Amino acid sequence: MANIENRELIYGLYNDEEDLLRAVKSAKNDHLEIYDVYTPFPVHGLDEVMELEESRLHIAGFIYGGLGTLTAFLGMTWIFVKDWPTIFGGKPYWSVPAFIPITFEMTVLFAAIGMTVTFYLVSGLGPGVVNTQLDPRITDDKFCIAFDKAMVDSGDVEMFFKNTGASEVNSKNI
Amino acid sequence: MNQYKMTASARNVLFGAMGLGLVCMVLTWFGDDANHTRFWSNFLQNSLFFTMIAAMGLFFNAAGITAYAGWYTTFKRLWESYSMFIGVGLLFLVILGLGNYFGWHHLYHWADKSSVETDTILKGKSSFLNSNWYLFGTIIFGGAWAFIAYRMRQLSLQEDNHGDSSFKYHKAQRVYAAVTLPVIGFTSAAMLWLWLMSVDAHWYSTLFAWYATTSAFVAMISITILMIIYLKFNGYLSVVNANHLHDLGKFLFAFSVFWTYLWFSQFMLIWYANIGEETIYFKERYNNYPALFFMNIGINFLVPFFALMRNDLKRKAGSLVFVSILMLLGHWLDYFLMVKPGVLLTAQHMSHDMTHGHEVAEHASNFVPGFSMPGLLEFGTFIGFLGLFVYFSLVVLSKAGLVPKNDPYIEESMHHHVI
Repeated sequence: MANIENRELIYGLYNDEEDLLRAVKSAKNDHLEIYDVYTPFPVHGLDEVMELEESRLHIAGFIYGGLGTLTAFLGMTWIFVKDWPTIFGGKPYWSVPAFIPITFEMTVLFAAIGMTVTFYLVSGLGPGVVNTQLDPRITDDKFCIAFDKAMVDSGDVEMFFKNTGASEVNSKNI
Repeated sequence: MNQYKMTASARNVLFGAMGLGLVCMVLTWFGDDANHTRFWSNFLQNSLFFTMIAAMGLFFNAAGITAYAGWYTTFKRLWESYSMFIGVGLLFLVILGLGNYFGWHHLYHWADKSSVETDTILKGKSSFLNSNWYLFGTIIFGGAWAFIAYRMRQLSLQEDNHGDSSFKYHKAQRVYAAVTLPVIGFTSAAMLWLWLMSVDAHWYSTLFAWYATTSAFVAMISITILMIIYLKFNGYLSVVNANHLHDLGKFLFAFSVFWTYLWFSQFMLIWYANIGEETIYFKERYNNYPALFFMNIGINFLVPFFALMRNDLKRKAGSLVFVSILMLLGHWLDYFLMVKPGVLLTAQHMSHDMTHGHEVAEHASNFVPGFSMPGLLEFGTFIGFLGLFVYFSLVVLSKAGLVPKNDPYIEESMHHHVI
């Protein structure tokens, strides 16, 4: 979603996640507004220092799960009681215990697929989508902090990168 | 504060609880039928419940050591102290085992010689369901658990005092832990068949031991959460933080779901196969204990499932205490429902045999105090046993530093961070 507008970003690369965490903290102290942080793997404690809001994906997951529960349970109820009443092993038409395993599976399936699709949509990922990378190395061994040039003073940022030990500073239009 | 010291008020409260339990047991004894069925079934239910909680403390500590887990090291003394209770619980179970020989109680249908002779099913099972297996199984297998629990705690304490960077005490614990897992895994199943499943002597379920063990496991996690919060509230265990509680909350949530899975699997297979000798177990509970039957699944599944689903509720003391208390009661109720119907049927069957009349059998579906519903005496007995368990654990805790030293995982545990 973030890549729609044309921005000029100035970004610094770090070699170590500890350096990155320290740098993010000091950016917060200096009141420099971080555009985003890119890491090759999830860094413990990064959410906290970036003061990110908790993801709402799990709420969506709960709703999808509930939807799966209802679909399976009401679906089977309609099929086996109303539409095509069938006797299995002498059990009543509305055999709730027999529905439970399928209801459970459908809950998991709906939640899993729903959350995956939602996550892809929200993150602007998916088949055929071309994402611009700031630097290919942030998917390998570099940790990156990016600033939007329109929002910060370039001099401050360069000073900041120098003080926090960034190994490289570049800028790029995305 | 690393050294726990029991305050006078805590001791008074716990002695009060034990006194209440004792009074309730005496009252039960004197208001009972000739065989003291209500008294002995309460005794069995509570001894077994807390012995299994203690065994689960040992089991989970061993599982953690074997899995190289570090998250729980800051409060592992709690599980070590629970595991020491195995010895006390075994004493109670040995009393029950001796009772089979001397006719102190009539909890088990298979222990009654005249019934076994005329009953093909009981006769067929008599090579396992007999007083010798009961008593010596309890002593040998339970003794093995108690011995391992004692050794593991000793090693852990020696590590505190003499541990160094060779971690030889931890490595020795690792050997014990690896041995513990299969030993407890197999023998607890066999002993649960004898102690618990055989109160319905005609019935069996291959899933039952897992189900009863998981029930105790959830109760063990509940007690752990409650005790950690209690100790933290009194200024101890400051290194245990919301992250450790979060993980315990996850275990409470996950194993409640696992318990439900087992409960349902046992139910559904029996319901679907619809074989009379298997359905009898659920038919009895469904017809004569409907409130307890649905309360069991309601409390033990719906409450933790919805109350602990969110992250933040697994990290807050308030919600954890609320759910833990309910889970402890809920799984005690689960044990109640495993013990009482079978015992009552046996009692009715035996008095039927004795009087050769039909009057008792005809009243089988009537309300029976202490069986159809847990009465005040049952709750009093529960509080008594709970008081004993907590008192014992706290006394054991006060014998050593609360937070272990020189454990290879203690640093990791102190910096444990989950979100």
